[in-house]
Amino acid sequence: MSDVGTKELRIVGFLCNWCSYGGADTAGVGRFKQPTDLRIIRVPCSGRVDPLFVVRALLTGADGVLVSGCHPRDCHYSEGNYYARRRLEMLRRLLQFMGIDEKRFHYTWVSASEGQKWQQVVTDFTKQVHELGPLHDKKEKAD
Amino acid sequence: MSTEKLKEIILKVLPDVDTVIGWQEGFDKIHITPFFMKSPEDAEKAVWNSLCVQNLAAYLPSLKKKTAVIVKGCDSRTIVQYMQEGLIDRSNVVIIGIPCTGVVSVKKVLKAVDYQPIEDVKFSDEKIIIKTSKGEKTLAIADVCPDKCKTCQYPTPIVYDHLAGDPIESTKPAESVYEDIKEFEKKSLEERRDYFKNEFDKCIRCYACRNACPMCVCQDSCIAETRDPHWITQKLSSEEKMMFHMIHAVHLAGRCVECGECERVCPMDIPVAKLKKKINSEMKELFDYVPGVNPEDKPPMYTFNVEEAKIKEHKL
Amino acid sequence: MADTGFLPKEKLKDFLEALSKDAVVYAPALEGDIVLFKEYSQGKDLYLDRPANLGPKSIIYPQCETLLSFDFKKNDPEDPKKVDIELKTESNFANTVVFGCRPCDAKGLVIYDKVFIDTDTADPYYKERRDKTTIISFACEAPFAGCFCTAVGGGPADTTGSDVLMTDVGDGFFFEALTEKGKAVLKSVPMQDGASYKEKAQKIKSEAEKKIRNPFPKDATEKLSQKLFDSDEFWEKVVSKCISCGACTYLCPTCYCFNITDEKTKDKGERIRTWDACMFNHFTLETSGHNPRPSKLKRFRNRVGHKFLYYPEKYNGVIACCGCGRCIRYCPASVDISEIVGYLKDPKQK
Repeated sequence: MSDVGTKELRIVGFLCNWCSYGGADTAGVGRFKQPTDLRIIRVPCSGRVDPLFVVRALLTGADGVLVSGCHPRDCHYSEGNYYARRRLEMLRRLLQFMGIDEKRFHYTWVSASEGQKWQQVVTDFTKQVHELGPLHDKKEKAD
Repeated sequence: MSTEKLKEIILKVLPDVDTVIGWQEGFDKIHITPFFMKSPEDAEKAVWNSLCVQNLAAYLPSLKKKTAVIVKGCDSRTIVQYMQEGLIDRSNVVIIGIPCTGVVSVKKVLKAVDYQPIEDVKFSDEKIIIKTSKGEKTLAIADVCPDKCKTCQYPTPIVYDHLAGDPIESTKPAESVYEDIKEFEKKSLEERRDYFKNEFDKCIRCYACRNACPMCVCQDSCIAETRDPHWITQKLSSEEKMMFHMIHAVHLAGRCVECGECERVCPMDIPVAKLKKKINSEMKELFDYVPGVNPEDKPPMYTFNVEEAKIKEHKL
Repeated sequence: MADTGFLPKEKLKDFLEALSKDAVVYAPALEGDIVLFKEYSQGKDLYLDRPANLGPKSIIYPQCETLLSFDFKKNDPEDPKKVDIELKTESNFANTVVFGCRPCDAKGLVIYDKVFIDTDTADPYYKERRDKTTIISFACEAPFAGCFCTAVGGGPADTTGSDVLMTDVGDGFFFEALTEKGKAVLKSVPMQDGASYKEKAQKIKSEAEKKIRNPFPKDATEKLSQKLFDSDEFWEKVVSKCISCGACTYLCPTCYCFNITDEKTKDKGERIRTWDACMFNHFTLETSGHNPRPSKLKRFRNRVGHKFLYYPEKYNGVIACCGCGRCIRYCPASVDISEIVGYLKDPKQK
């Protein structure tokens, strides 16, 4: 059971090592309550997130994908998240076009100190995905 | 523009290059085939008419010797994009430009004559006259042109060394280019999802779309086929087919020059160019960028602005 | 008299419905602007006006099939390192009828049979499907763009590989059973006596034969010029325009090359067999990185060689090409294999 009250869904999160992963850690250390649907994959930088990672996840079983990196101007590698921003915006619009609700995909910026914000992002995004329900039909979900 | 004028230019260029890439008659009267000319005798067989559909510029990155290539307006965008990305040595390429008023979609012509074998083809005044065993049929070229010609903005090549004919201006409104995309977006989310699933389910993974695409420069190292990384399996499921077409589309983000080759070559008639055109419409909207127009430009995914004027942070 | 039969055109759907009671029936149907073999269901429209874009080969030799599935299981709680592997194979191919393919498509299957069945170790997957399938071919009245079946020993009404041959005789279809399987099919459904149409069908078939183009001499003894075949210059001239895609091989009713891969997730997976295409660079790429056929010229040469030299050498002069013309019709660059073979048979042309 997910904390949102229905069956747990599969949400994949790509988090940059330097900010958002730290932010998630801060939230954990602070014992902020979060829904448990999210599976985190740590990446060096949001610029490492190939838009195709998101596509692959959504096509092979994920119900939602969240990407989070350092705030613009704060990238550990100076400019990785600037590239990410362009790519992910392009992807967001493409997913909608091919018939995947744009609400299933979200990208945002969370710094290592923003534990509270992280809690908010995860909770709100999980809620949003739960409102849409599973992306894949039930038969596939069973296994 | 006459074939004679074109032959004259080919003969003039031929001594300085290894090959001139043009067109010649194919296995039947409706099919024209790419033609690698090496000698003046070859040049005699060159043709130019509305059936010369192939984008010949796509051969350039794989050729090492100095080559001349014949391009229509749309094909020239391929060369501009190659120049932007440093994929060709411009000094090694001689461009013979042809102002073009529109080509013919062979698929549409065949459909119009019920797929009867074509015995003869004649052109007269913006019309194409098709002879089959069932008789003659006259079609307006405007009615059987590929969709790209209906909104063509660049009838005259953007770059060329020789121009075979007088430059022509586009008569099509610039706003019309992405109208089909806007129209498609009026469908519901489910309709769009079903549409793409049904279309891509026809895919046989022959990779003709990829191999014909001038901007698919990875070719033999395409991640659709590598085992490591293992992006997609060899399975034939809807997901794998969809994934392949997403790879193609996303790798062309901000680079697709809309030559329509992917769609033209598909033996299963899948509208493979649609996803790419959608991305292009977004590139125009977000970054006011049109691929393959200015050699000095940088593809939008290769660069950034610290403040993006049109990208707003999304709220949950 | 069950060897021949006649059906008026309006009865054709009844015929298919009767067939589909005991078997899965595949028939050509229009999908958008293309023709594909689809499972026939009641009331569904047929499309017989032109050959299918992709013939029925994928029914008997699927583009992707699971040979076996495997599952790694830890059954011993005492020893967590011990892993058992469970293997499973499934076969549930139902009796099938392929209706309305062309004689060239049926001939293609005979090319496969020699490779997959007529060997010391027959391929059980292929054999099962082949044995359970009945082929009802539809004779062509006229050639389509690119067709050259007569030049490779076939014909618009060739019977090789078919169980039943069907001919359009104007007001209906004339059926001839060619094999025991075919006779069984004709017996199983009510049909008018066809004897009176036999002559008319024969005339239509021989008329059609005359209309097919002959890009090279029909004589099977005519050898390809080895000198030209070995010349890089020749191949450069004829296939520089090739874009190395797999459209020709995947659509070809006689191309049978495949690849076997294990597709696995963490603890289970499948061993699958999928079509492969000799036009791809990866086809011959070796683990070391060496590729014996590194260029499209070499690859194309192999494709022509396989069909017109190596296969005939191995199988009593049978050419591994049925002349359906698909590789010509659907080639992105309009490469014409019949023209190339024409040059090889008669080098003086070039």
